[in-house]
Amino acid sequence: MSTIMPQYDVVIVGAGVCGAMIAKQLGLAGKKVLILEAGARIPPNNNDFMERFYKAVAKVPEVPYTPDVFTPAGSLTLTDPASLNAGRPNTMTLDATTWQNPATAYLIQDGPLPFSSTYERIAGGTMRHWLGTSLRNVPNDFKMYTAYGKFVDWPLSYDDLEPWYERAEWEIGVSADKSTQGYLGITFPPNYQYPMQPIPASLVDDAVTQAVTGQSFEGIPLVVTETPAGRNSQPYQNRRVCAGNTNCIPICPIQAKYDPSVTLNMALDTGNVTLMSQTVASEIIVDDNGQVSQINYLQYEDNLGPVSGKGSVTARRYVLAAHAVETPKLCFMSTNQGRTPNGVANSSGQMGKNLMDHPLYLAWAQAPKPVFGYRGPLATSGIESMRDGAFRTDRAAFRIEIGNEGWNFSIGDPWTTTLDFINGMNASQLNPPPPGSTASPALWGPALVTALNNGFSRQFRLGFLVEQSPEESNYVTLSKTAVDHLGLPRPQIVYDLSPYTRAGFAAAKQTASAIFKMMDAVEFTTPPAQNDPSAFDVIIDGKPDRLKFFGAGHIVGTYRMGDDPGTSVVDANQRSWDHKNLFLVGSGTFCTVATANPTLTIAALALRAAQTLIEDLG
Amino acid sequence: MSTPAPTTLLQTFVNLSALLTGIDAGKLAPQIDPKNIKQVYFDYASAAQPGCDFYKLLAIYAANATLPPAQIADIIFQQSGTNICYMARSVMLMWYLGSWYTPEDLQKTGTNKAPPDSVVISSAAYTQGWAWNVAQAHPMGYSNFQFGYWANNPPALSDFVGGAGA
Repeated sequence: MSTIMPQYDVVIVGAGVCGAMIAKQLGLAGKKVLILEAGARIPPNNNDFMERFYKAVAKVPEVPYTPDVFTPAGSLTLTDPASLNAGRPNTMTLDATTWQNPATAYLIQDGPLPFSSTYERIAGGTMRHWLGTSLRNVPNDFKMYTAYGKFVDWPLSYDDLEPWYERAEWEIGVSADKSTQGYLGITFPPNYQYPMQPIPASLVDDAVTQAVTGQSFEGIPLVVTETPAGRNSQPYQNRRVCAGNTNCIPICPIQAKYDPSVTLNMALDTGNVTLMSQTVASEIIVDDNGQVSQINYLQYEDNLGPVSGKGSVTARRYVLAAHAVETPKLCFMSTNQGRTPNGVANSSGQMGKNLMDHPLYLAWAQAPKPVFGYRGPLATSGIESMRDGAFRTDRAAFRIEIGNEGWNFSIGDPWTTTLDFINGMNASQLNPPPPGSTASPALWGPALVTALNNGFSRQFRLGFLVEQSPEESNYVTLSKTAVDHLGLPRPQIVYDLSPYTRAGFAAAKQTASAIFKMMDAVEFTTPPAQNDPSAFDVIIDGKPDRLKFFGAGHIVGTYRMGDDPGTSVVDANQRSWDHKNLFLVGSGTFCTVATANPTLTIAALALRAAQTLIEDLG
Repeated sequence: MSTPAPTTLLQTFVNLSALLTGIDAGKLAPQIDPKNIKQVYFDYASAAQPGCDFYKLLAIYAANATLPPAQIADIIFQQSGTNICYMARSVMLMWYLGSWYTPEDLQKTGTNKAPPDSVVISSAAYTQGWAWNVAQAHPMGYSNFQFGYWANNPPALSDFVGGAGA
């Protein structure tokens, strides 16, 4: 048995929201913490991020943060993931020619459908480009089996998590009014207040609200509710008030939207937390007693360059906070000369399984009069009343996000429509050929201004976040053939949407069309191309249809928590059943994906795990 | 650093651009113009032009500048050949989107739905794109508005584009 004192109280793998929040709490409690971060450190300012965003042709969520994924940065040419030390997926590798090509796509995708969400490997994590939506789960989300006979219950209830939701809301800085948030069983203590007043609703929100208030769809009331937002409605944490840059994804230029670099800097300021960037955890060593004894790592100076160092680190406790794909990857890589043949923390066989997302249905329309999109935060309200109900026995629930960015997400506007009117095209469907002609007009001068203004000012979209069912057949494992530049295996994924999820997706389409009719809006949602891999066939009202889904960036469920070591990876405190000094945190522990954007629940669970760690360390 | 274009040629470019885009010349090139995007665009189009089409376009405009706008547009888009027509469209897209679409790509694209390739001219060009102003909004990621503005109607279109707001 080793007599060497551990170097740290806690080693954390990953400097995203969980790593940052846990490190801050531990640092404040006087515990010595080391964070191993695979990607770059926090830059002194966001100028380089903004410059990359402005100059990028494709302004996808990853573009400010992943300069090496495109060669040159900002172009559309993808770097071979085999040449990257810290590779990562990106949304430019989801079309028919790229999604299963290992020379373009970091993830090795076996299908049958593409897993369409991406993540970052960078200090601050994937939450660098989150939307800011800070919803709580509704109580039935924690007990789907008890309430509806579906899937599994979580090993904790809404009431168990409620105090941690409060703490997470104050750590992030959430703007909302609790009087609007007490729906579908959500409760708050009498004296609780959100940190800041709500973000004002947009004119798009107002138009939807006016049309649907008092209406229902299939017996479910349609109620528009302000969205709790992790963006400032007043100065908070030395950050500015939201100025409505309409750019929460990929980046808020004034950091009015919270991101984990805020908490990470606070953690580092405690003086007890050290961050090692460009340091990739490569193996978890488990001793003969079943305890984690060290984590090995590889280092690099240039993401495209050679290994510059290697080493190992020891601690009293270990925390894996590398998100729901890289965390199982690291566990699978750690076989300990056969002592953990199926990977660390995997005696249940559940590691990597039940991969989920919110497959997102996107629908877009023109309002009968201007609603003036492209203004304000990307989303300020949603329809939350469809997140729970008896229908969950039969089909997936969803929430509806009301978008403020016109048709930017939908068709790439204002570029697409501008091209149409100037170059005589009709990709937007807003510039059809006049009667008797086959050519769309090309406009100039005042007529061009009028046509564009009329087109843009009435655009809006709805996004439906559909609850995906947990399925063991959707999983992450290790590729046997594809490696990154460090020689580490790349993640391999099998992914599909179940009949339950597809039924919810079909209901989303029907609901969108119903809402557009209530608004007297003209729908422009286009069916996917036949070769679009992110699409599937359904029957709606007896007619065949084909629907496209987008990834929501909500990667969930690959190391679920539970009450039974035989069917779960961690317990309700996020502690490994197999290794008592190992914690696995993040959305990988979710038992179901529910319908809320997951970040607030991720943060609440991380803060709860931090408390367990502090009590553990004594 | 680029050599400033002769004032008359640059002014010709601005006047031509105002005619094509529908944006007031005083908005495209305000008297106090720290961004001086007109010079950036002039230089970019000058360097990118195939067969001197950019200068030919300027010359065609200069020779016909006193005609009614519709007649000038007809000469540019209908009577001066395909190359001049698509060069004019490249110039318009440059002002609207801050990106360069080559005349050749625009011509090849025709009525296809696939967008032609483009290059963002500079970060300043992105933030000065007129498509956003025509939407009575601001470039995504670059707003000079204040908290809560989105709850109210925007200023009139004429405040953004000048003149009578098209």
